Amino acid sequence: MATQVVDHSALKVNQTGIVATVLVAVLGSQVVPALIWLIPLLAIVLLVGTFAPQYALFKQLYFHVLKPRGIVKPRPVQDRPEPHNFAQGLGGIFLTIASLFVFGPLLTGDFRPGPGIVIGLALALIVAVLAFVNLAFGYCLGCQIYFQLSKRGVIRAS
Amino acid sequence: MSAQLWAVVVAGIVVLAAACLEAVRSRRARRRTVGAVAAPASDPYILYFTGEGCTVCKTHQEPALAKLGAVHIEKVDAVADRTLADRFNVYTLPTTVVMTPEGKALHVNYGYATAPKLERQLAEARAS
Repeated sequence: MATQVVDHSALKVNQTGIVATVLVAVLGSQVVPALIWLIPLLAIVLLVGTFAPQYALFKQLYFHVLKPRGIVKPRPVQDRPEPHNFAQGLGGIFLTIASLFVFGPLLTGDFRPGPGIVIGLALALIVAVLAFVNLAFGYCLGCQIYFQLSKRGVIRAS
Repeated sequence: MSAQLWAVVVAGIVVLAAACLEAVRSRRARRRTVGAVAAPASDPYILYFTGEGCTVCKTHQEPALAKLGAVHIEKVDAVADRTLADRFNVYTLPTTVVMTPEGKALHVNYGYATAPKLERQLAEARAS
């Protein structure tokens, strides 16, 4: 289980991006309904960033814009990136499920507002709350799930 | 009420329920763990359960443990030593257990424990 240096500022920027995007999508869609599309877009961003970290949008924003300009200071910590990637992927999966709840009825031709949209938006908000808890208090639920799964041998720590 | 406001209410209820469940789980695990035994020592010591992927351990818990001074900290990899982790019902990282010199668990902290809290618990362990 080799540790490497993980820049925690990149993780914080990622979490900030998640919280901000979900809040804009959920609260802003009351005024501009099209903003609801930010939820599936964020799901794609998180899933792509999990499997191809070089395309992780918020982290790239940090590495190419915020860090070089000194807007956010780097915070390197001896750590493993896998639990954080796992947590990000979990966020992406939950946002995908949220998107299906929000847009699923539309795909079947049902244009009436139903409980699905409430469930979908609530799921997206829960993802934002967890990202905020990680950002503010350092508690990463996805990392704890990763620990439980590796303890049970479901995930093999490399 | 709009779907957005309903969603805020639903998410709030879910988060609150999860926080309550976590509190109950932690209390139950603590009740089961107090009194569990490990190796005796000449002074009270701390069993510190951690893991490679635990960020809070590195950024918060380890600096707090370093402030305790000359206290013996027995560092345990909770993933590698599952028997010991299961004996102390470790379900989250970090977990710190304040042990009496007789090797009995006196206080169990699931999640990050501050240095003053650990100091207080160690003082109790010394007095016991």
